[in-house]
Amino acid sequence: MKKLRDYSFAVAVPALATAVSFVLYPYLELTNLVMVYLLGTLAVAARGHRGPAALSAAASVLCFDFFFVPPRYTFRVSDVEYLWTFAGMFLAAMIISHLTVRLREEAEAARQGEERSVWLLEKAKKAEVDAETERLRSSLLSSVSHDFRTPLTAIVGSAGTLLDRQELQHNPAVRELLENIQEEGERLSHLVQNLLETTRLESGAVQIRKELTPLEEVVGSALERVQKSLRDRAVKVDIPEDLPLIPMDATLMEQVFINLLENGARHTPAEAGLEISAAVQGGSVLMTMADHGAGLKPEAMERVFDKFYHDQSSHGAGLGLAICRAIVNAHGGRIWAENRPPHEQAGERLSSGARPGGGAIFRFTLPLGDVLER
Amino acid sequence: MSAEKTVLVIEDETAILTFLRSSLEQNGWTMLEARNGRVGLELAASKKPSVILLDLGLPDQDGLLVLKALRQWTSAPVIIISARGQEHDKVRGLNAGADDYLTKPFGIPELMARLRVALRHAAQKPEDVPPVYDREGLKVDLVARRVWLKKKEIHLSPLQYNLLAVLVRNAGRVVRQDQLMKDVWGESRDVTPELVRITVHQLRHKIEPDPVRPRSLKTEPGVGYRLEALDE
Repeated sequence: MKKLRDYSFAVAVPALATAVSFVLYPYLELTNLVMVYLLGTLAVAARGHRGPAALSAAASVLCFDFFFVPPRYTFRVSDVEYLWTFAGMFLAAMIISHLTVRLREEAEAARQGEERSVWLLEKAKKAEVDAETERLRSSLLSSVSHDFRTPLTAIVGSAGTLLDRQELQHNPAVRELLENIQEEGERLSHLVQNLLETTRLESGAVQIRKELTPLEEVVGSALERVQKSLRDRAVKVDIPEDLPLIPMDATLMEQVFINLLENGARHTPAEAGLEISAAVQGGSVLMTMADHGAGLKPEAMERVFDKFYHDQSSHGAGLGLAICRAIVNAHGGRIWAENRPPHEQAGERLSSGARPGGGAIFRFTLPLGDVLER
Repeated sequence: MSAEKTVLVIEDETAILTFLRSSLEQNGWTMLEARNGRVGLELAASKKPSVILLDLGLPDQDGLLVLKALRQWTSAPVIIISARGQEHDKVRGLNAGADDYLTKPFGIPELMARLRVALRHAAQKPEDVPPVYDREGLKVDLVARRVWLKKKEIHLSPLQYNLLAVLVRNAGRVVRQDQLMKDVWGESRDVTPELVRITVHQLRHKIEPDPVRPRSLKTEPGVGYRLEALDE
């Protein structure tokens, strides 16, 4: 069907060229009329089939010879030069059609190749694609982390270098400003760390390495690291002597305590104390971090652990508690918030700065499973 | 100690080099800088610095490779600079022969303390009599094998004492958990990381007035422990 159409076109075009040539015959030289036929033949050749192109070229040569080459209306040729014209027309048509066909074939091959690669890509195991994505993500993470840490290290270090200078020892105003730069640089660095940690946890790039660890050690190193932001705030720690070792990733769990302590410090008055305690409950250890602030609004109770959640009074990025939840969940535990029941207030002795209205309590569990098996 | 205290800083970030130079010179150090691993190795060989500060993220090669190359011919203390959250890198660096590390961003007092400790350990000879450790009420005499807390003698189990002794000999320096396993328990195959933690825990309850807020025996999460350095 398609072939038939191509061949009809191959015959129709020289006919049309002949008609046009008749109109132009009085005005044009014979050699220029050849161009009309050539144009038509190119149009057929451009469709990319060699057969119709050859047919069209042959028909054009015959029509031109018959209708226009003297003596007209015969196939005889008076001037031998016209044989060259015929040969040229035919050759041009063949070359064009050949080139077009090749172009088409190459385009087709490219399309098929593309389809093949798409097919291959789809066929590639999902795990492989995931691994590639993961590699990209982690290399992106480490370069972002490097790009943030370098300027922050330079800022904190430069302020520290100036603070170290003897001549500034007696200039309290300058010292205060430098300390400001240093501390805020450290705070920013901590925020960047939280942001990176969130991304890492979400992407599953963090491998939990659970090892039996005394809770006291983890709480101790967390306290050491928040020392600066807690300043003189009292932190009461109550860990029973006979608390078993807990299977946990110590570096991640340290982060949980750091974030809970900093959260507590940020949301309560500077003199309000914090309390950390732990107790075995069934097959788990229940950890508690209580503050003496204004407590949580009912609607915040669930949402405090959501990423980027923060109420009007806070200035955090809203990542600290989200990280806590991700880490605790990854350990097979659960974290939640409560408000301190009012009656607990009366018996409090350590919390001299406690405000009426209780305070917030953050609790989380860590399963002891592995220990009991041993 | 020789008058010449030189530190070779192998680091590619200009902003960091700038403040390091200023703070180091202010504290009596001569600083050499190398902006890539190749130059770093050349300077380490030609200038023989007393301490080397090595950033693990270098433009031309992995800092760990530089460290391994250094360790083939020099025992000069190497302190690696790395970021928080990269405990794995720190452990690998320490395993490859680094003496200690600094976590970005770090304070100048911390930097100076690390350098002082590195210098002190480098100058120590095996035959030297270890000095008595006496700081924050904790006193350890390694020759007499006696320990005091706030002037009161305390009694440690042999494991607890051996662990404390390793830390005292490395005072101010981080000691990897697996290093403790090897140095304290030796060939014993029963030793586990938990056993190290339990022993440290028990030791803290004897030598720390408030074990949850240790003043001497600090934890380096994911890496090991550090006994605070004696003050100069």
